[in-house]
Amino acid sequence: MAAAGRDERAWVRGARAGSASDLEALFRAYWPRAFRAAYLVVHDAAAAEDIAQEAFLAAVRSLDRFDRRRPFGPWLHRIVVNRAIDHARGRALRAEAELGDEHASPAPAAPLDGDLLAALAALPPEQRAVIVLRHLLGYTPGEIARLLDLPRGTVNSRLRRGLDALAETLG
Amino acid sequence: MRRELEQLEIPGEHEARERTWAVVAAAHAAREPSRGRRRPWVAAVALALAGAVVTAAVSSPGRALLRSLREQVGVERAAPALFRLPAGGRLLVSSDGGVWVVGRDGGRRRLGAYLSASWSPHGRYVVATRRNSLYALTPAGEERWSLARPGVRFPRWAGSDVDTRIAYLTGSRLHVVAGDGRGDVDAGGLPAAARVPPAWRQSRRFWVAYADTRGRVTVYGPQAGAVLFRTAPLDHPRVLEWSRGDRLLVVTRTALELYGAQGQRVRRIPLRGVTAAAFAPDGRSIAIARGSELLLADVARRRVRRLFAGGSALAGVAWSPDGRWLLTALPAADQWVFVRASGGRIEAVSNVSAQFRSQRFPRVEGWCCAG
Repeated sequence: MAAAGRDERAWVRGARAGSASDLEALFRAYWPRAFRAAYLVVHDAAAAEDIAQEAFLAAVRSLDRFDRRRPFGPWLHRIVVNRAIDHARGRALRAEAELGDEHASPAPAAPLDGDLLAALAALPPEQRAVIVLRHLLGYTPGEIARLLDLPRGTVNSRLRRGLDALAETLG
Repeated sequence: MRRELEQLEIPGEHEARERTWAVVAAAHAAREPSRGRRRPWVAAVALALAGAVVTAAVSSPGRALLRSLREQVGVERAAPALFRLPAGGRLLVSSDGGVWVVGRDGGRRRLGAYLSASWSPHGRYVVATRRNSLYALTPAGEERWSLARPGVRFPRWAGSDVDTRIAYLTGSRLHVVAGDGRGDVDAGGLPAAARVPPAWRQSRRFWVAYADTRGRVTVYGPQAGAVLFRTAPLDHPRVLEWSRGDRLLVVTRTALELYGAQGQRVRRIPLRGVTAAAFAPDGRSIAIARGSELLLADVARRRVRRLFAGGSALAGVAWSPDGRWLLTALPAADQWVFVRASGGRIEAVSNVSAQFRSQRFPRVEGWCCAG
């Protein structure tokens, strides 16, 4: 998606052999959407940075085991989106658990600067994730189902409900 | 929708990308040790480094070699100086050049020629030592009182706004003195106290844990002169630490032992080679320095995960006051390493010794309190 398949395979092969320039090419091709996808799910730039960074570190650690026949993008996006969902769920829980804790003083989230973003932020993280995978990263519902280990019907229903809620909020 | 999602401006995106690239590139460069091919080389570097230290002290080419070797055992992309702390609060640092307070903006204030120090409970004062004296200071370095005692070490200050105590070792005896410098008492029984920093429990009453030379850990109340509990002999206790939730952590040569407030052992985590450990401010996890690894143990879930692996041994670990960052050190690389507790993000600082005018690598005595 972000890079031609041939380029991508060459970068993975080079990075595995120790080439920093190939790793950098892979990183620069995939970072923007990985970071953006994480941000759209968690709505917190610092957390999105951590999530995207962890995903790339996981990729570096797995370079030797990575199946070169598989495309890199879906593998990376699967990690990013799953971690973003976990983070968003965890934050919702912590927000209740840490009330009154003097050490729990997270910085306020940056204000969302668009109607669509505000509407997206109001959705459950699971619905945000499938909308990001479908409408930012361009995966089909079948591909999303495989990425998230979900039945295709579940993906379709989350997409439908999410889009309906967005349409209602945005008028 | 796709166009709007793609064109959205995310604050700090460019900086985030470059920070992440630095971390990813460093991880890629350090990838070989995990496959077992670089270990003999790392050992060779360690040997070469020991030899290079002498050379480096006297010659410019030697300094260049030392710099090169430090790069091999440290974090590759490190700031050349401490420009800021990644979280609030202030650091207390001891070095050959004395004791220093470091502000959030990286500014350093030297308090004087002291050997070691620690913060008062709210960071309003510092207790510092010289070989044969104990001092209470303001963070500006103004001396409030002093106490002459032989062989003073490991001062630890605890208490509330209105009543505080300082525990310290003088020779092989545990002493406790009030925060105003009055009422100093010998608080340890027999046998002698081991060379392990004592630790105060964070409670309304004063309870201090200390290790003795038989390997037992005793929790003692200086107000009543009573012993709350004493453990069985342990395998060389080296770190004592209380959580906010009244758990006592004892790091021994072979394990992490957790005790409840009344002395019942509630958990044992077998782990050799731990050199430093600290409870998170919320008491839910323990940061552990073990060899070249920084680990995070989830107390409730009994899980340990690795946050960072350096190219050489780590020294010390301290939590930021908000519990979001950890500070550890790579003395062989002359670096401090700030690690995000949630994982992944790393900020390293080089040339630490020179910044504190020190021949030996400086020691972080505490990271305390906003303001």
